[in-house]
Amino acid sequence: MINRRQSKLVRTAQGAFARLWQAKRVGLLIIPYLVLLSWLFSGDGTGDLRPGSLYAVSETPEWKSPDREHWFGTTANGEDLFELSRLAMAASVAVAVVAVVLGSALSLIATMLFFLGFPKSGLVAFESIGRAGFVLPPMVVSAILCGAGRGSLGQTIAGLTLVIAFGLATVISGWLREGMSQFHFEAGLIIGLEKSEITMNRLFPAILRRLPGVMAKLLPVIVLVEMALSFAGLTGDRLSCGVMIAYGQSLIIEAPWMVIYPGVLATIVVMALSFLGWRVSGALKTGNLIPII
Amino acid sequence: MMIRFFLQRVIVSLFRLGGAVMVLLALMELFFCVIGASDRHVWMIQSYGPVPTELSATPTTWSALLQARGGATLLVLLIGYSGILLTGYSWGILGARWRKFRGTTLLGSIFSFIACIPGFWLVILISVYSYYRWERPGFANDIVVDEGPDLLSLWNACIVAVPAMVAGIAWQVRAVASDLEKEITAPYVRGLFVSGVTDDDIFYRHVLRRATPALLDRMDRTVPFFLGSLMIVEFAFRYEGIGSLLIESVRLENYGGILAGSVWMMVVISLIALVRECAVGFVQPDGLS
Repeated sequence: MINRRQSKLVRTAQGAFARLWQAKRVGLLIIPYLVLLSWLFSGDGTGDLRPGSLYAVSETPEWKSPDREHWFGTTANGEDLFELSRLAMAASVAVAVVAVVLGSALSLIATMLFFLGFPKSGLVAFESIGRAGFVLPPMVVSAILCGAGRGSLGQTIAGLTLVIAFGLATVISGWLREGMSQFHFEAGLIIGLEKSEITMNRLFPAILRRLPGVMAKLLPVIVLVEMALSFAGLTGDRLSCGVMIAYGQSLIIEAPWMVIYPGVLATIVVMALSFLGWRVSGALKTGNLIPII
Repeated sequence: MMIRFFLQRVIVSLFRLGGAVMVLLALMELFFCVIGASDRHVWMIQSYGPVPTELSATPTTWSALLQARGGATLLVLLIGYSGILLTGYSWGILGARWRKFRGTTLLGSIFSFIACIPGFWLVILISVYSYYRWERPGFANDIVVDEGPDLLSLWNACIVAVPAMVAGIAWQVRAVASDLEKEITAPYVRGLFVSGVTDDDIFYRHVLRRATPALLDRMDRTVPFFLGSLMIVEFAFRYEGIGSLLIESVRLENYGGILAGSVWMMVVISLIALVRECAVGFVQPDGLS
């Protein structure tokens, strides 16, 4: 056998194939995500859908109980409740996705800047501050941040983003500390590499690999939080399963399907997202996280 | 040594609490006044005022309101937190013991799946079912017991506690099992196994004992999240506790209610954290210095 060095192209192709093979589980999990999200966001969701007007009851309400045509029944003005619940879940998932992505990015930037600017003891102090911050329950902070602006969409996303960023910063600083205690970090310092160089080439890629697992785990939690805040009336008169359940409460005798079925759909979607989140987290070996919200 | 450690932790807790109150005031000022365009600043005494009628039907003071609502929430906390600790630790230990059969995944998944059900929706369904099928009071504010044992309060507290605690149990089971499974990989375990010690003895006499400080360190992690969930569930069930006080106060933009409810929660969290720190210090004497 000739001991010949492989061409750069072949090595790159082999490396890419090996990475794809390692990520095959995550790759396969993208398919159910796409199916779920495309179903949620399909159909005509345009128009101003205000739960206040959708759940308004006239003297002769036109609601129908669930049947073959309308699986979840209809509202008082004849709107299909299944379609409305789907749109409401799509809105909640959209808010959660944006908040999780922004929160993760914000926490990553803040932690990396802190890490590069301060020595190891600074990271421990950063984690301690993060842990002490949980004296103030994150849900209380979310309620204040979202409720103070009379429930505008932007403020809801901003509030959830800040809470996620604060919680995740502690997790990421823990990963950085873990990375610093590994052999390659010490070895890099001994051979004279800069801390920033080791961080960007070794620690940062490792964090980026684990971060999607955390985000996938966080997504269903944030969907639940968004629904809970909207149920409490802190996110304005915007379509969400929480608001639909809140309005449906008053019609529980006349039209119980209006409170039961939006909750059923919300549970199914959150369960599906949770299941996928656990699988993604397992595939990326994210590990057991501290509760964030 | 122990007293010095305790006093040191008390001072740290007070500083932590003070810091959290300052952060809360800053958030209120920023979000209500700067972004929300309210003209009532947090440093103005007039911004707090007496208890509004929306928060209490009868005229009362903040301290009396806090006492009444705090007592109701303490009962829920007692049920919920003890449920989290008992179930979380026992099932977590069992999960680690049955690690060959994926015990942690099986035991934790039950609670994780229940936690996917929106708690506020579940309590509404329970109260409606209770009213129509069992012909019992539905929501928590329906009937007040004047005479005899007040079993209704206990029932209401359980209804509020259960949806709020399932997510906490799911996390606790996984955290306890993960700590134990980490300890099992230590080299001394293999040494004990080679020297002929049985599996049960290794697990219960050595691994569990050595992992105790790490397990105790996890005991207060779920409290802030349990109290956070409680806010929404109390509000949905119309349970007159601290959580519903907070939600109603945010809706009314009432600084007094927000501050009172938040500080109550922060004090409870700080106290449990203090107990945890002392417990860890007690079982791990090296940590006292």
